[in-house]
Amino acid sequence: MKYSIFLSLLLSTSALMAVETIRDGNTQVMSEPTQKVIVDSPSVACPETEQLLTEEKNIRISVTGQGVAPMNTTSPAQAYALAKRAAIADAYRMIAEKVKGVRVEGQDSIQNMMVKRSSISTSVNAMVRNANVVETTFKEGLCEVEMEITLSHSQFAR
Amino acid sequence: MRSRDGNYSFSLSVCTLILFYSTLLSADEYLISYRYTVKDATLYSETLHVSKAMKKCSGIPQKELVLDTNEQDDLKKIISDNAERFIAYIHNLAMHVKHNETTINSKNTFTTILTLQTTCFKVDFNENFARIAPLK
Repeated sequence: MKYSIFLSLLLSTSALMAVETIRDGNTQVMSEPTQKVIVDSPSVACPETEQLLTEEKNIRISVTGQGVAPMNTTSPAQAYALAKRAAIADAYRMIAEKVKGVRVEGQDSIQNMMVKRSSISTSVNAMVRNANVVETTFKEGLCEVEMEITLSHSQFAR
Repeated sequence: MRSRDGNYSFSLSVCTLILFYSTLLSADEYLISYRYTVKDATLYSETLHVSKAMKKCSGIPQKELVLDTNEQDDLKKIISDNAERFIAYIHNLAMHVKHNETTINSKNTFTTILTLQTTCFKVDFNENFARIAPLK
């Protein structure tokens, strides 16, 4: 009788331990995909790539503007100078778009269930200071100007 | 005791020297504005306005630019002769960007206007060069 009680106690203890081990195993199995989901989730990955302007860290914005020379130029040098000017304006526009944003307005007019006129107008209005030309290339009438601007926290905290 | 007449020639020469150097190293103030328009990726128009300030400007001279004068005293001509350098210089100061883009039935047109708003510049003319610095 004594031995049977001891044996039953031993069996129940081992059974309980086995259940706990299985539970732990299940938790581990469940926890792995959850972690993977968190790592692969785009909602978590986005803030790592998105640059934030802080007191410690400046942001450098680099853009490439394009411009073409007019048809009626008298010399290649003039064509280069005019195309470069147009490319700089394009680069400034891109910087302004990135820093300040773009205002977009759209209008569609529909007649007899058909689009008659579709118009989208965008506008940018900004003041850009301390932008620098990094590199200029001129090839087959197209001028490309690489410009960059460094934004610091103190510029906006004035 | 020395008479006052004894110092007359000395004081006259000092005054002449001061007058000479003040005219030689005179700093003038000019109002400069620059604007150019780009239409559909091509330069459309460009205007540069230079005029002597009719009243004194306030402010401290900022980053200066040295231009060759070639013995000229007309600032507009000096700037025209050194156009590329001057334009690269004013780009660094502050440019106002105004861009309008319209797409009608998938046909796109755009206009970008870059403007250096009227700024007062202190200009020091010397024999062979002129120093230009914006006042802020």
